[in-house]
Amino acid sequence: MPIEKSELLQGTLDMLILKIVALGPVHGYGISQRIRHISKEVLQVQQGSLYPALHRLEKRGWLAAEWGESDNGRQAKFYKLSPKGRKQLASEELNWHRLADAVSHILQTA
Amino acid sequence: MLWWKSLFRKRALDEQLDSELRFHIETLVNENIAAGMAPQEARRQAMLEFGGHQQIKEDLHDVHRVSVIESTLANVKFALRLIRKSPSFSIAVILTLALGIGANSAVFSAIDAILLRPLPFPNGDQLMRIDQYNPKVKSPQTFVAPIRVEDWNRMNSTFQAITGYYTEDVSEISAALPEKVSQAWVAPRFLQVWGISPALGRDFDSDEETFGGPNAVIISDRFWRQRFNADQNVVGKKLRLGGYSCSIVGVMPSSFLFPERGVDLWSPIPTNSPFSQSRDSTWYKVIGRLKQGVNVEQARVNLATVQAQLGRAYPKTDADLAVKIQPLKEATIESAQSSLWILFGSVSLLLLIACTNIAALLLARGAERQHDISVRFLLGASRSALIIQLLTETFVLAFIGAALGLLVAGGTSTVFRALAAGLPRVEEIHLDMRIVFYSLVCCVFATLLCGLFPAIRATRTNISGSLAQGSRTQVSGRHHLQWVLVAVQVALAVTLLSGAGLLLRSFRALGHVSPGFDASHVLTLHISASWGETADMKGLTQRIDRTIDSLRSLPGVDAVATTAVLPGVPSQYQTEIKLTEGQIDPQRKIVAESRWVSSSYFATLQIPLLEGELCPADPDTTRALINRSFANSYLAGSTALGRHLELLDNPFHLPPAEIRGVVEDAREEGLNREPGPTVYYCSSAPVPDPFYLVRTRTAPMVMAQTIRRKVHELEPGRSVFDIIPLEEHLDEAFSENRLRTVLLVFFALTAVSLACIGIYGTLSYSVSMRRREVGLRLALGALPGQIVKHFLLRGLGVSLMGCVVGYGLAVAFGRVLSQMLYRISPSDVTTLSSVVLTMLVVAVLASLIPAIRAARVEPMDVLREE
Repeated sequence: MPIEKSELLQGTLDMLILKIVALGPVHGYGISQRIRHISKEVLQVQQGSLYPALHRLEKRGWLAAEWGESDNGRQAKFYKLSPKGRKQLASEELNWHRLADAVSHILQTA
Repeated sequence: MLWWKSLFRKRALDEQLDSELRFHIETLVNENIAAGMAPQEARRQAMLEFGGHQQIKEDLHDVHRVSVIESTLANVKFALRLIRKSPSFSIAVILTLALGIGANSAVFSAIDAILLRPLPFPNGDQLMRIDQYNPKVKSPQTFVAPIRVEDWNRMNSTFQAITGYYTEDVSEISAALPEKVSQAWVAPRFLQVWGISPALGRDFDSDEETFGGPNAVIISDRFWRQRFNADQNVVGKKLRLGGYSCSIVGVMPSSFLFPERGVDLWSPIPTNSPFSQSRDSTWYKVIGRLKQGVNVEQARVNLATVQAQLGRAYPKTDADLAVKIQPLKEATIESAQSSLWILFGSVSLLLLIACTNIAALLLARGAERQHDISVRFLLGASRSALIIQLLTETFVLAFIGAALGLLVAGGTSTVFRALAAGLPRVEEIHLDMRIVFYSLVCCVFATLLCGLFPAIRATRTNISGSLAQGSRTQVSGRHHLQWVLVAVQVALAVTLLSGAGLLLRSFRALGHVSPGFDASHVLTLHISASWGETADMKGLTQRIDRTIDSLRSLPGVDAVATTAVLPGVPSQYQTEIKLTEGQIDPQRKIVAESRWVSSSYFATLQIPLLEGELCPADPDTTRALINRSFANSYLAGSTALGRHLELLDNPFHLPPAEIRGVVEDAREEGLNREPGPTVYYCSSAPVPDPFYLVRTRTAPMVMAQTIRRKVHELEPGRSVFDIIPLEEHLDEAFSENRLRTVLLVFFALTAVSLACIGIYGTLSYSVSMRRREVGLRLALGALPGQIVKHFLLRGLGVSLMGCVVGYGLAVAFGRVLSQMLYRISPSDVTTLSSVVLTMLVVAVLASLIPAIRAARVEPMDVLREE
């Protein structure tokens, strides 16, 4: 069953976006597709959440954006990770792992 | 940002958002088609999946918009919280700026009302003051003959209309007691030139402007309210003026106060009356309104041509005359201009000192908040965001200060009216949106001036270093900067104080001057009269002589005189004269001040007679007296008595006057002027309404009622008015001097207190930063006296530097003031050095408390804090 964004932990979408974008410049459509494919259709991001998140991240200076030509020859806005965003991603990943470890530890031992 | 720019940006953003979202949808559609859907269906599905396009766009706009407003709001909230957290700091800053911005806005409101705004008439810039003068003689004859005004008006091509007027004080006798009213006699087209219509009733009609037509008056708003209780049906009522019954035809609006504030009514003078046909009888002051698009220069050329034509037509009277044109506004405000700009300069220096003072406080505070700022940096705030936040804090303080300052500015007109009622247009000073806007500009300016540099400074830090060590141990270069700011304050304060000192000393010198006449116990007054009486000069002289004699007979009165012009109140009437018997030095022009006085003038003012006799009471021949300067300059080494004086330019065809006596010099032309060569012509009735001077035995005002009753007894139809001691006239004449002196002294004292606070604050801060060092030195055996000396010298040294710079600035400031100084040099060493000395004493006092506090540091306490 697909999980909608509302069920994702606050801030998790931002981290996922940063992670996807870290792979290379990509446009909004590409990001939503990759999250769906990589999560094996479990995570489906609504465009209504995706684009505001992208713009917020861009405004904070974690993402850089520029217009370029897509595979089908149309103009699209491509996002890529800024150095600041790379640092942010690293610290968020670290936090996530610590949180996940802690939660699973509690689930297993308690 | 400019609104159109932000609008433009919004549209660009909108297009970008649209194409980004459209790309997403198109790609979805293409994919659906590739999966085998029909194009229609593919699009429908894609739209379904994508969700509300507009909603997303709105959300995206929010992302971009909210941040500006929200961050500003957050900054303001944060600033307000900080203000509450450190109330004493905030109150100090707010009060300093309230005073700085308030005083600045106050002086600006005066400048705006008096100098900057157009005159309160429609298209006031088209109004011109026009004078006639004779370039060949020294004293300009500025009044104009009525018939010449008509010629100018008819023959020119650059003015919409030209008109003239003169005023006299007459009695209105329709009520129980005669009442003095100030009446303006006006040429045709008077209201047309001003572009103002009566608020009630109508303008004069052509019958009323014709000789023998009905007598009409238009009354002022003030007269209408006082006398007729603002009666709406006043038009058609009668007044009795100088024996004539006149109908009221209109009431002017309250804003119309021309030619002077006190004017009560306006009456037309017919152009065809027999008494206004002579080209020599000059009465009018002349005002013209330029045609649309005509400039002053074109008008000058045009009227010069017109006057040249008149010169050919009437060579005897008009050939020598030239025309002078000056914008009416310039003519009105001329006198006040330099005083106001100097006050504005001073008050701007004061604001600069206030800002410098606050900048030093903020620098110190920035250092204290180093830790806080470093944490914000670490949390990802950008430097510009931090600078904006710090500036917002300063702005909030400045804004509160400016709002309080408006209260100060609101009181300006009261202060200006109290200190200098004679200032032109003073009644137009008031608080309005322009002043509020100006205060806001001051507020932004002050924010940048005192906040920008400390904010840049505070955010330029080595984050990790600051976080690791704290700020206790650093002895940074920031101190130097604060001390530079203190020196700047001291320098500016010295400048202002010197200016104030120079003005104050010259003001006092003026008070101690010996004028050559005795103004104490002299009462001045007017008795209403009409210029019509000049038709019978003999009768007029007899009437005035009779009044003089009967006032003289009152018990308690020592002497009574008349004069056309008050002594000591600045005014000049210089004429070129020739001696009928020939001159001592024929090459040398004889120019002298001319005064027309009654024979008792010298006894009343106690001006001693040196030689000859006072004006004898003989109306048939013309007699004159000269003063000592005249005798010394033009008649040195020969007897003056018996010679005859003639006016070179003699518009009234006066006969030569015989010199009958020589009197001591007196400062007739103004208390601030050395007496020059002066001729007194003996005439008790030079004008129908001269100043009466009454020397009383007791305080002058005590006699006012007695004199009033006596005049009423003698001539029930006349009113007595403007009963004022001569000393008050002299005070009033120098009220502008008093205004700038009082205000500048006030600004200077404020500046010195601010500089004093600056020294105290910066030294205290320096002491608190160096507590550890001081403790250590004390622990190692330094004497408290050495510590005190160290800090004291620090404060004194910086002040000394400020004083040196300030001295230079003060000399420059003195040069600006030089026109206003009396009997004191602009670089007067006594004044400047005592100002510097005062400043240094203040600096020592301000440094003493923090220095002593430093010496009281307990070494053990400080070392334990480590």
